Amino acid sequence: MCDIIWCKKDFEGKPCNTINYLDPYCFWNWEGTINCAECGAVYYIHMIQGKMYRGPEDRPGQKPDTSPLYADKPLDGYRFYGAGIEGRTRPFECLPRHIYLGVPDMVKFSIRGRPVRGHRPQPPSAGIAGSYGFDWDIEKLSPDLYEEYQQKIKNGEVSEW
Amino acid sequence: MAKDPRVTRIEDLPGPKSKQELEEMKMPYEEYCRAQFDPGNEFSKPQSLKGIRWLSTTMYIFTPHSVSNLAELGADVIKVEMPRMGDPMRHCAPFNETYLYPLHESRPMTGTGMGYLNANPNEYHISMDYHIDEMKEPFYALVRMSDGLTQCYRPGTFDRWKQSYRYLQEINPRFISVWGGGFGYGPKCFGGSYDILGQAHAGLASVTGMHEYMGGHCTKHSNWCIDWYSGTQITFGILAALHWREKTGLGTKIEFSQVQAATRCLGYAAPLYGRFGVVRQRWGNWDTQLCAHGIILCGKSEYPDAENPQDRLEARYAMISAFQDEDWKELCAITGMNDLYDKYKSLNERAEGEAQIEIYAALEKWAEDKSRGEVVKVCQDAGLLAEPVMNDREVYECEHYRERGTIRWMDDPIFGDVLQHGSYSAGLMSKTPRRLFWIWRPVGADNVKVYHELLGYPTSKIEEWYENAWL
Repeated sequence: MCDIIWCKKDFEGKPCNTINYLDPYCFWNWEGTINCAECGAVYYIHMIQGKMYRGPEDRPGQKPDTSPLYADKPLDGYRFYGAGIEGRTRPFECLPRHIYLGVPDMVKFSIRGRPVRGHRPQPPSAGIAGSYGFDWDIEKLSPDLYEEYQQKIKNGEVSEW
Repeated sequence: MAKDPRVTRIEDLPGPKSKQELEEMKMPYEEYCRAQFDPGNEFSKPQSLKGIRWLSTTMYIFTPHSVSNLAELGADVIKVEMPRMGDPMRHCAPFNETYLYPLHESRPMTGTGMGYLNANPNEYHISMDYHIDEMKEPFYALVRMSDGLTQCYRPGTFDRWKQSYRYLQEINPRFISVWGGGFGYGPKCFGGSYDILGQAHAGLASVTGMHEYMGGHCTKHSNWCIDWYSGTQITFGILAALHWREKTGLGTKIEFSQVQAATRCLGYAAPLYGRFGVVRQRWGNWDTQLCAHGIILCGKSEYPDAENPQDRLEARYAMISAFQDEDWKELCAITGMNDLYDKYKSLNERAEGEAQIEIYAALEKWAEDKSRGEVVKVCQDAGLLAEPVMNDREVYECEHYRERGTIRWMDDPIFGDVLQHGSYSAGLMSKTPRRLFWIWRPVGADNVKVYHELLGYPTSKIEEWYENAWL
């Protein structure tokens, strides 16, 4: 389930009539500005736990913080904007959410503080026809994660269980 | 044995052959078990199914699990997935969120959901669009080099694609072909299946959960227990077929209906109906044979200050067992239910439905001002069998599971730190234990290993197939 912004601004001589979908992955707890995928009008919204707390309010002239995941025009048959169209919609990222707050929370370490490959994008390590090697050497392939891990070891945040 | 059968040699006789063996035999049983099973040291022991090669064109949990059992026991399993996309189970659990990356080199922003865990461990993952004519040759080449295949397509689909048992046995007469799916042949032949459908159609869901007049509804298990259960049943079939092949040299066709498997869990339900016309009813957390022998709700939370709601609100159930007369007497004494003891002295009286309603209501009344831990302690101190209903965190922290290696951390070579309970929960074997090498591999990760190194195709051919999205 997600909330929407139904844009009814005049656009090219007629109402825009575009439904912009506010997917819960991004907007569950979120405050900021968002563009209409069709006409580019900017709206301010504040969502708390999936409910529209404030907005949508017009913010003409402002730069949008983000875009809807996808949008469609139900009054124009099957016209729609899929995910990841630059300037209109956002790529589908499907981030894991924090277990209580629902905010995006990219998991890089297990509960005992060791690195997991639960984050992306991943370093290119594929060979012929999508083949993968047998070992993910984090020092070589994910140096940032490796650094973070070393820091965790130093801080005593890595345990056996 | 000695060459002359009349000669008796000490080494042929049962019993210890050396001082060390004698000492081992004198070990206390607990220590002996620890030494025999030695959790954590599985990798130094042989694998019982080494040398078996199995193909898996399966999806979700049910049929993949039938093969994952083989892979954990040492078989070489090749999982064949559709190009780029892979098994749909990779994309669908839980709540489509908990991802491990990467899925495939062409989809760097997509991962595999944790629902895929335990269903495809230790397997080589290749991709192939095996239904098109162009890929028949490598498919048949794999069949020639393998012992069997498990598939889950609708009945007749593999036959239409010339990949069913009657085609494959001509290529490889020792081949064991397994179909696992919803209904199997019969009036509902084309019905697909999911775990929930298996539980529902087999009559299992109708006897799960509390009775309707107690506020309950028919219930499916939260996890896909019939997928896991029927998958394991297929594995038994495969092992029996392998044994049969040892004796006859011939393969077998195995046809496995998931709804049929689930009826096996129903115990006396059908015989009861057959004899008395009684349709078995739901009895939820209580027992239809024994009383008191069930799960009760306690009034106070075990962890009132916990941040996690599962701990704070849900950790309130305790399992209590006191169905034998002496135990029942003790339970009534510690809970102050002396009137109930006088009323229901024998097990037959206690096991009656009306009696159970009264007894469990009284037990929950007694537990109203107690936490789960308090209830369990009072019962255990009185010598009764009682345990808390544990949640997953408590299972993780349980010393019993840790010592036996049931639940353990592993460093997956690709996906990193993973908490595992699947592979090591299926019983211990002293000589050839199960083990987990890796949880899964990305889609097509072993294309070169299988097509080039095993089947001998040149890499140029593999690249050509890949360009055409046939791999």
